[in-house]
Amino acid sequence: MLSAVFSKHSDAQIQGRNFTEEKVMEASRTLFIPVILGTARMGRMSLHAAELVAGELGKCEGVATDLIDIAKLPLPTNDAGEAIKQPDFSTKVSKADALVVVSPEYNHGYSGLLKHVLDSCLKEYIHKAVGIVGVSAGPFGGTRVIQNLLPVMRELGLVTIFWDVNFSSVRKVFADDGKLLDESYIRRIDKFLKELIWMAKTLRHGREQVSLD
Amino acid sequence: MADLATNNNKMICQRCGVEMNHHCDKLVYTTDPEEAGGRDPSLGGFIEEIHTCPECGAAASRHA
Repeated sequence: MLSAVFSKHSDAQIQGRNFTEEKVMEASRTLFIPVILGTARMGRMSLHAAELVAGELGKCEGVATDLIDIAKLPLPTNDAGEAIKQPDFSTKVSKADALVVVSPEYNHGYSGLLKHVLDSCLKEYIHKAVGIVGVSAGPFGGTRVIQNLLPVMRELGLVTIFWDVNFSSVRKVFADDGKLLDESYIRRIDKFLKELIWMAKTLRHGREQVSLD
Repeated sequence: MADLATNNNKMICQRCGVEMNHHCDKLVYTTDPEEAGGRDPSLGGFIEEIHTCPECGAAASRHA
């Protein structure tokens, strides 16, 4: 695949360096795409959605992932923003090429804790891709929480993709033990992840090679 | 992480020793009096430059 993509540049030399070799090395570095589980509520069905997406991400060649459960991040609530930056979370976001945010829809919005966590970093996000997975007990699959998250993502410097995954009537999608009951979600997640990975690769190239000046 | 600058004002990756790519200027509004001195009056905030290493992907930033 890589040789096909880059073969047309095989004779190119840029500034005395071998273009093909550099591009192949750049493209072959593992992408890191963690999945953020955006709720701490007891009995959260979003956990199953996050585990499913992380599992599918883990099957993608050249991609490493991790499930970040915001309920387990020891962030204080007597301050906010970068003042409460948590080293592990900051390191993972810095290392990330893209993020998946899995968010339930609570009263048409996202959880306050998710915003609290997201706000603890800033430059770690810049020019990285993000895909959003909405989860709801009702029929709309978190569409409203996804819409509400878009301006937040934009201000953080993240680049949103145009594929979402919407888990509607989530109690019908997963059994209590997390078993997937509707296999059609696998295809939707596959399309979502392909777009996210493309954007992650493209933005990594941009961050590393395309100058603002 | 990388906070060194060369003569041409490029940041240098401390891990790889190569020039980093300046790919973003982020406008930051602040209420911190210590940072207020760096505020660009025409923008209303200060510019945080974001740089990424082309070798290892490490990111760094500095005030413009």
